[in-house]
Amino acid sequence: MKNPTTNPSSSMIRTRFAVRFLHAMKKLNKKTPAPSPYRRRFHTIRAAACASMACAVGPRKAWSRAILKKIRARTLHHYLINKSRNQQMMMIKRGNPRDEELAVGFGYGEEDDLRGLVPGGEGMGFCRLLSETAHYIKCLRAQVQVMTNVLDHYSST
Amino acid sequence: MSGNYANVEPAKGSEDPVNYHEPNMSSDWHVHGNKITTTSIGLVTMCNSMAEPSAHASAPVMDSFGPPIWDQSINGQNSGYCNMNVASTSSSLGAVKVGMGWTPNAMLSEGMFLPTVPGGVPQSLPHFPADSAFIERAARFSCFNGGNFSEIANHFPVSQSLNPHSRGLRPMRGPDEVLGGNGLKAVLGMQSQRHQMHMAEVSNEALIHGERGTEGSPFKNEKESERFMLSHDEAKNGIDVSGNHCDEAEFSGGGAQEELDQECSGKGLDLKKRKRTEQKTENNEAPQPSNETAADIRQKGAQNPSSTSNPGGKHGKQVPQGSEPPKEEYIHIRARRGQATNSHSLAERVRREKISERMKFLQDLVPGCSKVTGKAVMLDEIINYVQSLQRQVEFLSMKLATVNPRMDLNMEGLLAKDILQQRAGLSSSLAFPPDMTMPFPPLHPPQPGLIQGGLPGMGNSSETLQRPMDLQSALARGGFREPTSQHMQAPRVWEDELHNVVHSRFNSSPPPNSQEPTDPLLLGHTKAKP
Repeated sequence: MKNPTTNPSSSMIRTRFAVRFLHAMKKLNKKTPAPSPYRRRFHTIRAAACASMACAVGPRKAWSRAILKKIRARTLHHYLINKSRNQQMMMIKRGNPRDEELAVGFGYGEEDDLRGLVPGGEGMGFCRLLSETAHYIKCLRAQVQVMTNVLDHYSST
Repeated sequence: MSGNYANVEPAKGSEDPVNYHEPNMSSDWHVHGNKITTTSIGLVTMCNSMAEPSAHASAPVMDSFGPPIWDQSINGQNSGYCNMNVASTSSSLGAVKVGMGWTPNAMLSEGMFLPTVPGGVPQSLPHFPADSAFIERAARFSCFNGGNFSEIANHFPVSQSLNPHSRGLRPMRGPDEVLGGNGLKAVLGMQSQRHQMHMAEVSNEALIHGERGTEGSPFKNEKESERFMLSHDEAKNGIDVSGNHCDEAEFSGGGAQEELDQECSGKGLDLKKRKRTEQKTENNEAPQPSNETAADIRQKGAQNPSSTSNPGGKHGKQVPQGSEPPKEEYIHIRARRGQATNSHSLAERVRREKISERMKFLQDLVPGCSKVTGKAVMLDEIINYVQSLQRQVEFLSMKLATVNPRMDLNMEGLLAKDILQQRAGLSSSLAFPPDMTMPFPPLHPPQPGLIQGGLPGMGNSSETLQRPMDLQSALARGGFREPTSQHMQAPRVWEDELHNVVHSRFNSSPPPNSQEPTDPLLLGHTKAKP
């Protein structure tokens, strides 16, 4: 099956991310093997995935810069926790039909949601937000692919 | 958004030209356009940032100021000139100043001077007569600095020094030179009055335009001719007149002036103002004749800018090489038939086009969005998709937390596997030949060769690749347990990726723990290669 994303830039990102992430996983597995509390491992892995992605992308994009900034400030953990909380709230909120919003052109409710989703999305214009979102989606996809492969590999061996 | 016309750049280093305006003006001008915008003058510098999504700003400013566009032609010289104009407007000079400030913008944006009138336009700009002819005059005026001719003339020598400034700066100076050079004063004088008002307004707008104005002439003079909406007959006449003046100025001022003049005339026509004010509407009516004229003039002017723009080394980072104005900063749009052409709507249109273009790109990215129409729904889909991807990552990390890899040494295998699997068509894991345990030393020679396969842009990740070094060695030591049943096709791309991964290893000092060939993968690769 041919991988749809075979353009050089995304494969580069994928490789870089895979390298970092695997390294982090290796370190983590050495320190706290699986039987240890899953919750802690889960948080660490999630942060490692996020950080590896941001490092792989580098400071070229605003969203990766935002994440790198959080890493340096050591607030990545909190950020991720709040983010998942916000996402749950968002799911509840978006579950309700919002016809009135749809009727309003772009429905600025959505724009704000998008800003909340994309890291570092608060401080940029809508147009820029869209391009950042596009790149962010590409990277998220690569991340999911790599992590799926890693998981498969772990499970198979 | 009204571009950042901070033309400040026009302040061109020579500062002198600025001096003549007003003390505050000059200071503003000196600084880079940024200051100018901030100053009361609120001159909008050429919207360098027009290119940016928020470029729409420039349009409104420029509307009223038709002539300033031609400043661009002046670009080198005009910068100084523009400064003058700008300064003048703020001060008692009024329109003249506007022109000055505007010119730098014009020059920068090459015609598309979207003067976004900053809020603080101090000069008491009387209403700009929506008069295309006026625009022309204003353009010329700014070029020649009609009203404040004497002042400008004084600064004339100064403008020379301005050259080093970015293009924007040059234009400013140009007017000085032009003014001093010829006796246009008389002609300008009459026009200057009208221009003053106009220019002041324009300059204000121009200032706002393009913060980077000084850097290069964002305005593409060449292109402006087309875009120039100034199709007014009067404008045309004005241009002709100015053209004549320009000629005179040329002789008197020498080369620098020439450019200015031509640019002025050309620019005046071409003022590529993204946004036109009401005046534009008038121009629209008769765009053809004036446009053509402007185009011609512009052509001449275009050539000049290249020569003039070069001197502005300082700010010239963006200096458009004359003929190719930095488009990236400035986006010129042509009013489409039947569409509103006032500055605001133009900017809006640009913004909307950008947004829709990005939405289309996103539509391709997000699966299942092709049938969705409408921004709101599309945005909803995008949000949902991003959320689902993020949730997937979380879910996967949860699973990874529970999974305990049986072998620590599987990292390299994992990595290789990932890479391979990511490669198109490579579904099998690394098909390392079972004889990975073969003596490694023999592999060393081929390694360099393999490495030369090329590291596609992995330079910056070399340090990250260092880490897999131990992985690689571990892989070699631990033996490759990956299914080797399938032969690795070793596509070129895989090889590249692999090289990328292991390249750092080779580049860096040999891995401390590598007794085996540093690159078991390479080893496998060499074997696998048919």
